Amino acid sequence: MRSFLATLTVLVWATTALAHQLNVFAFVEDGIVVVETKFSTGKVPVSGNVRVLDADAAVLHTLPLESDGTVRFPLDPDAAAKGITIEVITSEGHEDYWILTPEDIARGSGS
Amino acid sequence: MKPIFSVTLALAALMGSTALAHYGMIIPNDPMISQEDGRSVQLEVSFSHPFERGGMILDEPVSFNVTHNGETTSLLGDLVGTEIMGQAGYTLDYPLNRPGSYVFSMEPKPYWEPAEDSYIVHYTKTYVSAFDDDEGWDTELGLRTEIVPLSKPFGLWEGNVFQGIVKLEGEPVPYAEVEVEHYSEDRGAAAPSELMITQTVKADENGVFTYATPTDGWWGFAALNTAPETLDYEGTQKAVELGAVIWVRFEEWDD
Repeated sequence: MRSFLATLTVLVWATTALAHQLNVFAFVEDGIVVVETKFSTGKVPVSGNVRVLDADAAVLHTLPLESDGTVRFPLDPDAAAKGITIEVITSEGHEDYWILTPEDIARGSGS
Repeated sequence: MKPIFSVTLALAALMGSTALAHYGMIIPNDPMISQEDGRSVQLEVSFSHPFERGGMILDEPVSFNVTHNGETTSLLGDLVGTEIMGQAGYTLDYPLNRPGSYVFSMEPKPYWEPAEDSYIVHYTKTYVSAFDDDEGWDTELGLRTEIVPLSKPFGLWEGNVFQGIVKLEGEPVPYAEVEVEHYSEDRGAAAPSELMITQTVKADENGVFTYATPTDGWWGFAALNTAPETLDYEGTQKAVELGAVIWVRFEEWDD
C-alpha cells in the first residue's frame, strides 16, 4: 500500500502537507463514499470545495461540502480498483486530503 | 546538545536488581500514525527495566483495553505472546479505523517482587493519534490509579516538559512521587550515577508533576502509591505497590 500512497501523494498538490489545520477522513459504506472534515480545534467547516481524483489524478467529481462538514457520493467501481483521492479546500483557505486505497475500499474502512 | 550514550550493561549487572525500577510498558511502533503510515499500529507489551533493557515475565494481564471516542473495548484476546527483552511479553497489531486518539491500557496481575517484599501492580497506558487527529488526547480512563496528561502525550519535542496529574481512586494525590525512566531501546544507555537511571520528581499539592526530557525517545512516568489492602504470599500478608504508568514519546529536534 505504501507505494500506492506515495504515488498518489506526489500527484496531490504540493502544499497539502502544510495544511494541517484541516483534517479530512473518508470511508466507504454500502457503495457510498462518506467524507468527513473538521478543523484541529474540533470545529466543523460549514463550506468548502471537494475534488475527487482517480489514481491518474483525473478529476472524477467536484462537489460542495455540506454545512455539516461532510459530503457523500457513489463510489465509481472503475476508479475503486486503483483507489481515489479526496481533496478538500475550505473557504477559510485550509486544505487537506484523504486517500482511499483499494484496501480501504475493499474492507469498507471505517464502516 | 544530546547526551552521549555508551554501552554499560555491566553497570546494571553490578548494581543488582534492587536498584532497578519496574515499569509496565506499552510501546507503539509510532505514537502518531498518519495515513501514509498505514491503517494500524503495532504494540509491544512487557514488564521491564527500560533503561537497562532488562525484562521480567509478564503473565497474561487482567485486562488490556483500547479506548477511543469514549468507547472502551477489550483486546485481551488479541494479544500475541512473544519475547521482549528476554522475557515473556505480548505484541498486538491493532487496526485504526477512525481518526482520533486511541488509549491503550493494561491492568497486569500482581507481580511478586521478593527484593521489595511486596506485590507490584502497574496500571499502564499510552496514547496513539490516528490520521493527524488529536481529539481525545486528554482522555481520563478512570483507572484505579492513573496519570492524566496535561501535556498532549504525543507530538512532543525532545526537551519539552511533560505534565500530568497523579490520581488514585479518582482523586489527585498531593506530593505524589513520580519515577521517570528513558527506554533505551536499541542503544545502550549509561548514567554517571544510578541515581540518574531512575529520576524522581514530586507532584505539587494538586497532584501535578512536571518533567523536562533531555533527549528523544520513549519516556516512562510511574507514580507509585501503596494500596490499602494486602495480598497473601505463602501465608503472610504483603503490601501492594500501585503504579500509574504512562509512556510518552518525545521526537528528535532535527534542525
